[in-house]
Amino acid sequence: MTLAAASDSPLSEEAYREAFGVVLSSRVRLARNLRGLPFPDRAPPAVRADVLRQVREAAAAELPVQEILAGTTPLFRQRLFEEHLISRALLEERPESAVCLDESRRRAVMINEEDHVRLQAIRAGLALQEAWADANALDDVLEQRLEYAFSSTLGYLTSCPTNVGTGMRASALMHLPGLVLMNEIEPIIRGLNKIGLTVRGRWGEGTAALGHMFQVSNQITLGLPEGRMVEDLEQIVKELAVHEGHARERFRRERRRAAADLAARAEGLLTSARLMTTQEALERLSELRLGIALGLTKRIGMRTVDRLLLDVQPAHLQSLAERAMDSEERDEARADRLRAELGRRTSRRTKRNA
Amino acid sequence: MLCESCHQKPATVHLTQIVDGKVEKHHLCEECARKQGLDVHAEPMDLGNMLETLKGQLAQLKAASGAAPEAGGAACPSCGTTRAEILKSGRMGCDRCYETFAAEMLPVVLSLQHADQHMGKVPRHASERLKTSVEQTRLRRELDQAVAAENYEEAARLRDRIKALPAGEGTA
Repeated sequence: MTLAAASDSPLSEEAYREAFGVVLSSRVRLARNLRGLPFPDRAPPAVRADVLRQVREAAAAELPVQEILAGTTPLFRQRLFEEHLISRALLEERPESAVCLDESRRRAVMINEEDHVRLQAIRAGLALQEAWADANALDDVLEQRLEYAFSSTLGYLTSCPTNVGTGMRASALMHLPGLVLMNEIEPIIRGLNKIGLTVRGRWGEGTAALGHMFQVSNQITLGLPEGRMVEDLEQIVKELAVHEGHARERFRRERRRAAADLAARAEGLLTSARLMTTQEALERLSELRLGIALGLTKRIGMRTVDRLLLDVQPAHLQSLAERAMDSEERDEARADRLRAELGRRTSRRTKRNA
Repeated sequence: MLCESCHQKPATVHLTQIVDGKVEKHHLCEECARKQGLDVHAEPMDLGNMLETLKGQLAQLKAASGAAPEAGGAACPSCGTTRAEILKSGRMGCDRCYETFAAEMLPVVLSLQHADQHMGKVPRHASERLKTSVEQTRLRRELDQAVAAENYEEAARLRDRIKALPAGEGTA
């Protein structure tokens, strides 16, 4: 969903590149627990079942799409995970866990994850204030029915002390190939860490950011009002986006041949390969996306690339094919889909005529 | 707010210390802080390291509490989670654990969050007293900042708002 949020937008290609070229989406997550009940990991099944019932009822009017996760297939959960609607923790089959969504899948509540309630709101592009407003409004609706665990000093009480206070994690999904390719990302990440922000790769483990996709978020949750935290983060994300723009421009100017080669090579592989892993697809799509942003690739739209960033992931690929596939079958289906979406129309016509 | 040592420059270094289980706060300017041997540019931890740090801190506390075991408080009366379990997982068992293990948890929260007071949203169902308490703390800190910035007009406005609040927790 963090990716789909942008690619669903009705903007023209040019406006789309302008709006989502660097910041793809904004997300605000709030952690809440019910007063006087053990947190999910400590709660007996009857308590978790009671929490599940209470939260589902409280969310029903706003979030009518409700999926009980226990008993679902790993593939079903993996798809929700790829859409950023459930966390890594819920990929495992946790008892009495559920996710509630609205029709647009932009607002979601996870039940019985690490905390009783984890609610989130996602907006396309840089819209952290709006995402906070959405999350806050959803929280207002839930708390009409739910009594939260709260202390006047420590705020909302959470399973892990790293979340106490506001229980809020606000983040922006950013595409930063310019800063990576110009070797400027490391000092920037260190600088952001110093001012209380976390920068992580959207995909992959550890600090390696597959496809140059990064998530920038607040790490401190206590001591400031939510609005201020969100404002501060938004300001930094804006500045970071300007830096990325400059880095891309320098990459195009100072490394003209390398930039042209990178974009053309990515397009060539994506439109010719017969087998492609998720990792390679995300890396080449990222390079193609940069090529489009720099005006080096004119034939393909950025929106198409953004849709593919989601569709090439394993669970999405298998849902689209409506069947489970082994690893090599997936690599073939992925390559087929990439060629079909990105290949030249003339070559497709030729194929059809043949 | 002015530096409590030189009373000349604005206090930009806010130090919270736990001494003999009591929270002490100091507000210093950068120069005086340096004179006292404080590293004023200490780097906050990144989130990935926070849990590790948390576990490390809890382990230290465990060692300390092993040397001088406190009477009671070894298990939360509400959920039954023991101190040892919290030390191991880095997770609390329930909301009551924060009270039960306050002596251990408060320093940990401080070192993770660099703050000890919630300033954000308050649930609608919270008692008026609780709401007033959070609002009062927030306004007091804004007042401190306004005075430090010599914005006396704003300070007077904030002082009036504090006075207008109904008596809440922490009101003298």
